[in-house]
Amino acid sequence: MSLKDLLSPFFVWQRAFEKPYTTIRPTLDRPGAPAYRGFHINIAETCVGCGSCHEICQNQAIDMVAVDEFVGRDGDSGLRPRFDYGRCCWCGLCVDICTAASLRMSNEYSWIADNPNEFHFTAGVDETPWQDNELGYRRAEGYHLYPPKRIEMELLPAEESVKSFDEVTLGYDIEQAKKEADRCVECGICVATCPAHMDVPDYIHSIRDGDYEKGLKLMYRTNPFPGTCGRICTRKCESVCPVGILGEPVAIRWLKRFIVDQVDKKDYKRILDEQIENSDFKVAIIGAGPGGLSAAYYLRQQGHAVTVFEEHESGGGMLRYGVPSYRLPDAELDKDIDHIISIGVDVKYNTRIGKDIQFETLLEDYDAVFMSTGLSVPSSMRIHGEDHARVLSGLQVLADVASGRDPGIGKKVAVIGGGNVAMDAARVSRRFGADVTILYRRRISEMPADEEEIHESQEEGCTLIQKAIPVEILDADSPEQVAIKWGEAEMVDDPKGGRPRPVLREDRMHTETYDCIISAIGQSSNLDYLSKELQEQMAVEWGKFTPVEYQHTTLDKVFVGGDFANRTADAISAIEDGHHAARGINRFLNPDLYINAEQQHDI
Amino acid sequence: MNTVDEILDYAIDQEQQAADFYEDVAQRAETAGMKKILLDFSEEEKRHKKILQTVKTGEHELTPEQEILDLKISDYLVEVEVSDNISYQDALIVAMKRERAAYELYSDMAAKIPESHLKEVLTGLAKEEAKHKLFFEAEYDEHVLTDN
Amino acid sequence: MTLSTDNILTGHSAALDFAQPEPLDLTSGKYVKLWQGPQHPGITGNMSLELILEGDTIVDCKTHVGYLHRGFEKLMERRTFIQNFTVVCRIAVPEPTFNEYLYSHAVETISGIEIPERAIWLRTMNLELMRLASFLMWIGGMSGAFGQYTVPNWTIAYRDFVLDLFEEMTGARIYHMYIVPGGVRAGLPDGFRKRARDIMDGAEKMLDQVERVMFNNVVFKARSKGLGIITADMIDPYGIVGPNARACGFKRDLRKDEPYLAYDQLDFDVITGSDSDAYDRAYLRLQETRQCINLIRQCLDHTPTDGPFQADMPNVLHWKVPAGETYVKAECTRGEYGYYMVTDGSEFVRRVHVRGPSYTHAIAVMERLAVGNNIADIAGLMVSLHNYPPEVER
Repeated sequence: MSLKDLLSPFFVWQRAFEKPYTTIRPTLDRPGAPAYRGFHINIAETCVGCGSCHEICQNQAIDMVAVDEFVGRDGDSGLRPRFDYGRCCWCGLCVDICTAASLRMSNEYSWIADNPNEFHFTAGVDETPWQDNELGYRRAEGYHLYPPKRIEMELLPAEESVKSFDEVTLGYDIEQAKKEADRCVECGICVATCPAHMDVPDYIHSIRDGDYEKGLKLMYRTNPFPGTCGRICTRKCESVCPVGILGEPVAIRWLKRFIVDQVDKKDYKRILDEQIENSDFKVAIIGAGPGGLSAAYYLRQQGHAVTVFEEHESGGGMLRYGVPSYRLPDAELDKDIDHIISIGVDVKYNTRIGKDIQFETLLEDYDAVFMSTGLSVPSSMRIHGEDHARVLSGLQVLADVASGRDPGIGKKVAVIGGGNVAMDAARVSRRFGADVTILYRRRISEMPADEEEIHESQEEGCTLIQKAIPVEILDADSPEQVAIKWGEAEMVDDPKGGRPRPVLREDRMHTETYDCIISAIGQSSNLDYLSKELQEQMAVEWGKFTPVEYQHTTLDKVFVGGDFANRTADAISAIEDGHHAARGINRFLNPDLYINAEQQHDI
Repeated sequence: MNTVDEILDYAIDQEQQAADFYEDVAQRAETAGMKKILLDFSEEEKRHKKILQTVKTGEHELTPEQEILDLKISDYLVEVEVSDNISYQDALIVAMKRERAAYELYSDMAAKIPESHLKEVLTGLAKEEAKHKLFFEAEYDEHVLTDN
Repeated sequence: MTLSTDNILTGHSAALDFAQPEPLDLTSGKYVKLWQGPQHPGITGNMSLELILEGDTIVDCKTHVGYLHRGFEKLMERRTFIQNFTVVCRIAVPEPTFNEYLYSHAVETISGIEIPERAIWLRTMNLELMRLASFLMWIGGMSGAFGQYTVPNWTIAYRDFVLDLFEEMTGARIYHMYIVPGGVRAGLPDGFRKRARDIMDGAEKMLDQVERVMFNNVVFKARSKGLGIITADMIDPYGIVGPNARACGFKRDLRKDEPYLAYDQLDFDVITGSDSDAYDRAYLRLQETRQCINLIRQCLDHTPTDGPFQADMPNVLHWKVPAGETYVKAECTRGEYGYYMVTDGSEFVRRVHVRGPSYTHAIAVMERLAVGNNIADIAGLMVSLHNYPPEVER
């Protein structure tokens, strides 16, 4: 034992004169670190209620509860996370997974309340003192719990695609599809938004499982045109997909197409296996487009004898005659249509109601009638010289090409319009070797056409002139040609609000000669087959119907759907109209099973 | 027409005539929807008339110096016929063209006379008609020129 | 030194006497049975010792564990792969990070995920900070166990400063949940390196004072020298690892033997002792604490400031890890810490086995070393083995 060892303990006194480690203030005054995982903050306005926080919470500390303020919003489940602080472990996984980045944590960590129920609260809805706290844990930039970028769809190179009518999109392979399907957070907001309410998360799940037959069955529950919609759907689902808020939305459309691509046409019958018991009812359907055939499919499933009357020689309506085959190959459309027909739907082609058969005859002979004849008459620009022989309609050009006829467009073409028909007419013209100029009266960002179509048409070499207002059509030197006078526009704010309006600049006019001008500025319906009295009875306005519940018109037996009966005028809405009308017709035909029973139960 | 009151009376009468015109077409319209739209047009003209009446009594003042946006849509459209089954597009063209004609009438008259109170009233009336034209043109731009 | 099965087997039979002692006649009046724990709220009390005393000398010791059992391994079988990383940190409260790392590393090994360079360095720094915090708390515990209550005040305070660093870096003081399958959750906050260096400097000075007042202290020396000697022939049969083995002269450290993360790029030597008693083990740990500060400084210098800190991950909400099995290990403060994981291709892990070094140190080694010692030294002996009972009962 050395003296040094004996003395060394006394060196602790050295510290008596040093600054103490402890803080004098009460500990509660010490704020958490800037990225501390403290109490939850939710920006309820930004949150879309996808429920991923609820899904990932290992403590089941998060319930999704309906908050009146948000119920019924577009792209919003109306639910917001409610936290149970008796369960929470503040791991912050809910913050990491939050698709909208609305969920975060404050650096507040002390909360005293005499009522324990207060610790069960809906962040961002129930008032908390830390809601506006700027410090606290946030998901770090560059840290993701699901891949934010989508798997790119491979496209035919533009120099190739412009030479043929081969399909431009090449489809996913199995590995790509599984990877893309993996990105889904299964919130189901897409289901609510899809006009047909397709079971999107479930069929995407079936891709992850590799069970494409199950996927196909799920799709046919709400949509008998999966192959078609997998290619050309307007995909409102993707616009609300929460994965798209911070990254890119799940490629729902391409995944749908992938399932259809995986299943051979000859297996459809075995997989879908519709069990049909015949009823005593007969239903007539006018128009074999997506609306009419969708109604036919679901009505036939209910056992009714279904007859579809179609004026053209093939079915599909606008899908066949309006959508070019490089976007929707005929074989793929036929895959969908053939299955519908295969379950016992009778289609009478080349039969026009009002000419070959009178509408009134149908009303007498059938128990119910579903009309879905769409918008087939091109709108007129109402400018001088419009009736020039070299002014063609976009619809006509597309129909000619679809039927294998020469559209006779020449080598230098101007297309007027900014919708999908205009883009399609332009791209079709490119495929016939023409130089194409698209004139659109507003800005590209306001074009109603699909973004991809706008992009691809430019890739394929169409010249797009925005803010160009056609003023007059003039004769050219040769009768084979036509001239157009158009003026540049400037966008001027409307003092009454709304989007800026194009105003013609009369000092900046241009005149150019073309081999033809394709006008594609819109279309309206042709209701010649309905007498004025019937139109009056069904309250037709501007050639459009406003059906009531279950697509019912004010006429007892008549149901309507499709472009002339909805505002969106796209395939998926027509398909849903058909499905909805099929339910309505079934109710109408079996009142005892539905309507009367409901009344009895006072529902 | 040399006094301000005379001019205003003329303008009020023109608005009444326009209202009567739409009401008349509405009576002959084939569908209920069309009828309603035309009656709405007629109501719009009656509203214009009321504004002018209040101008005459001095409760309301014209605004000749105000700049009114001119969309120049009606200038280049063809004349359309007023038929029993007129479409919405054509009904709007008729309305736009009528407002445009009235606007041109007043501005022409104003251009022909020297600076005076009367000239100011005429310019003010022209601007009033330009506002009406903008109303119908904006409607046309929004609902007809959808390019889809 | 290399490890082989032969070594272990021969060491087992040749050198050690595992024979049961003569049964004691507890009714003779010669003996007193005394329970230490589990009521005591500290490392010595999270498990209990059933002691038989003759006078104040221990003649028999039985260890009892199970008081903390929360069934982590079972819990993990019913949670998804992402959820589990919030569970594992609870297996060793003073050292959660090693669990986070090993769990994540096991999942990454089976699913073939390679983490980016920046994540490797951030993980290394995180683990070394954890080692520092753990050692600081242990020094306090060791000192306290011998009745000296000043040193704990210093070391626990500095542990708190390290926890402040964790709070900044990870968002939490104890359960950091920072190392996540695929990488880490964030980079370093602004100014972190400077604050960390300041705290390292302060800790180093404080450790000098600790050495003077604790390790030169005549009472501490008298009581801990010669206490609980682990002989070289015990090492392999008992599976003794970490500082307990190194104090015996065994140069055994996974950071050198099988370098993981960034350890092959760090400059350090394995520290060994020779006396292998409680004092030697404690002094070795003090030196390792200093080494730890050095390693943290190296990490602060080398950790990249930008670049990704997370590998490309699948959607964790329905993440299926392919079927497989793996055993991963790391050198924690007490030695080799291991995770054995089996997956079956589903969204859940089939089985996880957590092998913590405390398992042997606290149960078998403790029973053997206790016999013959004075009852007053039993707590000090127990702490000198550095056990965390929760990892025994994972």
